[in-house]
Amino acid sequence: MPHFNEQKAVPVTDNNNPGFYHYAIGDAQVMPISDGAMTMALPDGLVKNAGRDEINAALRAAFLPEDKLTIHFTPVIIRTGGKTVLIDTGNGASAFAASKGAVGRFATNLKASGLDVGAIDCVVISHFHGDHLNGLLTVDGKPAFPNAEVLVPAPEWAFWMDDGEMNRVPDGRAKENFANCRRVFTTGLNGNVRQYAWDDEVAPGLRAVATPGHTPGHTSFTLTSGAKSLFIQSDVTNNPALFAVHPGWHLMFDADPVLAEATRRKVYDMLAHERMRVQGFHYPFPANGFVEKTSDGYQVVPAPWLGEV
Amino acid sequence: MDLSRRQALAGAAALAAAPLLSSRAAKADAPVAGKQVAGIYRYKVGSYECTSINDGARSFPMPDGFVTNVPKEQALSAAEASYMPKGMVTVPFNPQLINTGKKLVLIDTGNGPVPNAPVGMLLANLIAAGIDPKSIDTVLLSHLHPDHTNGLRTADGGLAFPNAEIIAPEVDWAFWTSDENAAKASTPIMKNYFANVKKTFAGITDKVSRYAWGKEVAPGITSIATPGHTPGHTSFAVASGDQTVLIQSDVTNIPEFFMRNPDWHVAYDADPETAQKTRHKFYDMASTEKATVVGFHFQFPSIGHVEKDGAGYRLVPAAWNPTI
Repeated sequence: MPHFNEQKAVPVTDNNNPGFYHYAIGDAQVMPISDGAMTMALPDGLVKNAGRDEINAALRAAFLPEDKLTIHFTPVIIRTGGKTVLIDTGNGASAFAASKGAVGRFATNLKASGLDVGAIDCVVISHFHGDHLNGLLTVDGKPAFPNAEVLVPAPEWAFWMDDGEMNRVPDGRAKENFANCRRVFTTGLNGNVRQYAWDDEVAPGLRAVATPGHTPGHTSFTLTSGAKSLFIQSDVTNNPALFAVHPGWHLMFDADPVLAEATRRKVYDMLAHERMRVQGFHYPFPANGFVEKTSDGYQVVPAPWLGEV
Repeated sequence: MDLSRRQALAGAAALAAAPLLSSRAAKADAPVAGKQVAGIYRYKVGSYECTSINDGARSFPMPDGFVTNVPKEQALSAAEASYMPKGMVTVPFNPQLINTGKKLVLIDTGNGPVPNAPVGMLLANLIAAGIDPKSIDTVLLSHLHPDHTNGLRTADGGLAFPNAEIIAPEVDWAFWTSDENAAKASTPIMKNYFANVKKTFAGITDKVSRYAWGKEVAPGITSIATPGHTPGHTSFAVASGDQTVLIQSDVTNIPEFFMRNPDWHVAYDADPETAQKTRHKFYDMASTEKATVVGFHFQFPSIGHVEKDGAGYRLVPAAWNPTI
């Protein structure tokens, strides 16, 4: 027996968990990258058509703490047809300090994966909320991906970049989002983006799918390679413990909650029926799994973790 | 032009329209993914820092009698319903490291070095977690099956954790080291288990001490009797501050089968009837207490909660915490 006669400080490399993960869809490789997770007090009015008691019951049922909400953020890199494509960018590096390190972790995790920002050929944006857009810029407000073309959904651009639409909304979160779109696209990227339409193949095997409701131009994607396919849902649901389980709940962040619900049911019925793997921006890392129908909603079953690529 | 399956699936529109993403960037092909990220996941229990360490996962064609008391077709449908490759069953392996602040305790050791198999990743993942195998103080074994003990050895037969005391459940130790019991073993599985214990512990039996059930076997770690899978099979409660997690070990093999169907018997059980009773008792307790349960054969990071679901139980995996 060796002697341990004093307290031993055991070194750990850092206090983070792995922030990237690889899996294959046919010949394509998919790498979810965590931007972190934010836990906040349960906001009043989070769900327009369910009260705090109902939300707490759902949290309890998912073994999550009551009166709190955790939002996970997971952009994804797709290597397909010789291209390296990033879908959504997270909260941005400047969110790291503001959140005391809870979010804004994407750039660090990307680097840990061995991939340089310069290796990204293309950034595809699903919709124009800050948690998807803000990583397009560095802390200094410069383009974060120097070699990437930025692709944006045409219907999203038409809505958020329209000054008339901006002037019609009252002051508040929506108005701020219009301003943020201009900060990122006009000031930061100097308008240097390309618009894509729904049903376009935005990269080899990667097709844009109309899933409006959360925002007017909200977009999901299908990745197809060989006989395999993956649905990249973006924000069809937020945290699945609440919004897949209760597909009829209307999230305060949805622009058109009735349309968002119709989209959600259509997409999740399809995913459950096809047993198609799904990657979800707001699922807990590594943010992919399968959808099962329950008696009154859906349940996301995480995909098995594999120790090899 | 040769129509690939992908193009056929993508439809005629895809052929007509070139991808939006032009090939203007004159760069080399996109680099392919390298190694998988290290299978390590840290979580706190009070002041203890715990790490779930993935030893890998085996996918293999489901053998006859993998589930001994239901027809193979039924087990195959359960596998397919759980998104396992058709005809296959996938079994993951997840040892746990507990850093009490004073001691580093490793609970179970994985499969050890196995050539050409996607297992035996414990050492590499430990090192990726910043842990020198020489710094492990205690190896705590839940039972003496190869996927829990064989990581004690390195590929050259040396000791993977040279400075660690090894502690094993006294009931399992007595059972598996008995030549009399070995002589009575009737199935290839059981014969292999006895032979493996002999081989793995050859020359190091003096390093092994034995623990009893219901004892604090390491700081904050209490042994819980959960026999059946093996005679001395043991689970653990790890407690620090006001928090506790239950390390169940092999109360179930894969939960997709044996938690959903607690009366199914896996081929590896020494006493399946006792294992079944243990399973019900353990999961009734875990679901009532809403306990956090860590399972050696759960999907990595192998942490969740158990809820009652009809005649069985369901595992609700814990949400991944990016920081601890």
